[in-house]
Amino acid sequence: MNPRASIWLKTVYARTWVRTKSIYGEPLWVAVNVGFPFFTSLALSLLYSSVGLRSGIGFAFLGGVMVSFWGNVLWSMASQFNWDKQQGLFELYITSPAPISAILIGMSLGGILGTAPSAITLAIVGWVLFAPPANPLWPLVALTFALTLASLYAMGMALSSLYLVYGREADSVNEALHEPVSFLSGVYFPASLAFPPALQAIALVIPLAVGMDALQRTLFSLNSSGVADLSLVYRDILLLAIMGIILLFAASKALRILEEKGRRAGTIAVRLR
Amino acid sequence: MSFRDAKSTVEVEDLRREFKVKEGRVLALDGVDLKVREGEVFGVLGPNGAGKTTMIRILSTLLLPSSGSARVMGWDVAKQPEKVRPLISTASGAERAGYDYITARGNLWFFSQLYGLSSKLANERIEEFSEMLGLTDYLDKKFYTLSTGYRQRVTVVRAFINDPKVVFLDEPTIGLDVMTALKIREFLVKQAKDSGRTILLATHNMSEVDAICNRVGIIDRGKILACDTPMALKRSLGAPALVMEMMPAPDSASLEPLSKVDGVKGFTSSIDEERGIGRVQVVVDSDASAQEAIDFAKKSGMNLISNWRQQTTLEEVFVALVGRGFREREHESPS
Repeated sequence: MNPRASIWLKTVYARTWVRTKSIYGEPLWVAVNVGFPFFTSLALSLLYSSVGLRSGIGFAFLGGVMVSFWGNVLWSMASQFNWDKQQGLFELYITSPAPISAILIGMSLGGILGTAPSAITLAIVGWVLFAPPANPLWPLVALTFALTLASLYAMGMALSSLYLVYGREADSVNEALHEPVSFLSGVYFPASLAFPPALQAIALVIPLAVGMDALQRTLFSLNSSGVADLSLVYRDILLLAIMGIILLFAASKALRILEEKGRRAGTIAVRLR
Repeated sequence: MSFRDAKSTVEVEDLRREFKVKEGRVLALDGVDLKVREGEVFGVLGPNGAGKTTMIRILSTLLLPSSGSARVMGWDVAKQPEKVRPLISTASGAERAGYDYITARGNLWFFSQLYGLSSKLANERIEEFSEMLGLTDYLDKKFYTLSTGYRQRVTVVRAFINDPKVVFLDEPTIGLDVMTALKIREFLVKQAKDSGRTILLATHNMSEVDAICNRVGIIDRGKILACDTPMALKRSLGAPALVMEMMPAPDSASLEPLSKVDGVKGFTSSIDEERGIGRVQVVVDSDASAQEAIDFAKKSGMNLISNWRQQTTLEEVFVALVGRGFREREHESPS
């Protein structure tokens, strides 16, 4: 195998392993990660049940699943990169032949694997306890879910570059993004039914919003006739693919520019003493 | 072993690096020239702020020079970082680079993958180097449970795991206990000798340089002031140093005229708080100059309680070159 490709693959695998191992090395973190989204979904499901809107239960649990990943992108992906820099790991990445893109993809895959148990637990519990009405188109569900995760984590990579520039101050960007993006994305409710068209159009630039819309349509046939509108699903799939590519390209370009800028300004290394 | 005929692995020419700061610009490196050879442990000795870390960062591709050139194994560190990186590694005594919830072994394996090593080869090297550094029993402990000394051993193993041709070390034994520092120094010498690696060691620890470096460059305010073997540098001073103990300790202003005494090349002073005495080390060019320095102290009303001559150290070489010791130099603002 080409040595560069070999280093790239080994770095992706190693960073995925470290991320996953680190997540499961903190039992409390696992418990919190699994438990917290569950309570919100549970509360909303009870609310939907009490007002006789059983179709809403599926949205509540799907929202819980996707919020786990969104939180992981914001807090354990972008800010993790800043932690790496503060610990002096970033300069070791730079002085090694491993590409930064491999480190970031490894962090993403590790994040996905670390969040998966929480998401799967939530989905199973929701299904068993409430049996929400669903009419899933499984191949499209799998495709939209994969594309949503890809574009979400590509967004995480782009946010990582912000941390390289602004350090911990970028935490406020996470704070600013978390709730509004969750709201605009309609994580616990169908935004396509609840929001006016103008707001829906604005939300189309957010990967989570597009992903939620596609998942709600393919899982719950979100539509007044009870049959999924496939043209809208395909639109979402196309948008997710485009966003994923743009964000990946932007993240990779931004990191290269920032590395050069950092070498010029002397900001790659953090002086620890 | 002579390094005169060995090929140069690190070549630095007229290297300059400026940093923008609030007050204007700081010149961290001011025209450094240097050649380090294969299989050599080369020390860059200087006080804090002398430019050691800046030089290491440029050589390890983390920082671009403002002007001048630096080559590692023939590759330009500024223009061809991708060629340099597979051949080098870096480690700092201040680093805490490791993932807390991963074992020492897991961390080392992780770093080996950044260089594309097979897991088999990585594990062999982990075992071999850990054995040499007394780390074997701690390999399966989580990183955060290790003491500073053992974490530093992990850092040193990490720096050699990719079989680098050139290793840049920045104060690798700072803050470590004597035994750990000794182990690490032995390991470094063995790596240079047996594997022909070049080790460039930035430090302000003179005994470390004396113990393991084949040659040393003395750096101050971004300039290399002298470069030779530690022995040759010490011999260049000629006369042994004069040490005077005084009680009470004189203030620095009253010692200032000492530097104007004929034959005095410089001095450095310290206070022994416990005993309440001041100690002044004076670099002199002859026995007569030493006597003149003693006479000066007596005439100035200092209560000289003892004096003796001692073999010169690298600090006295620095004093002879700069006029002051490391400590005083760190507290002076650059002119």
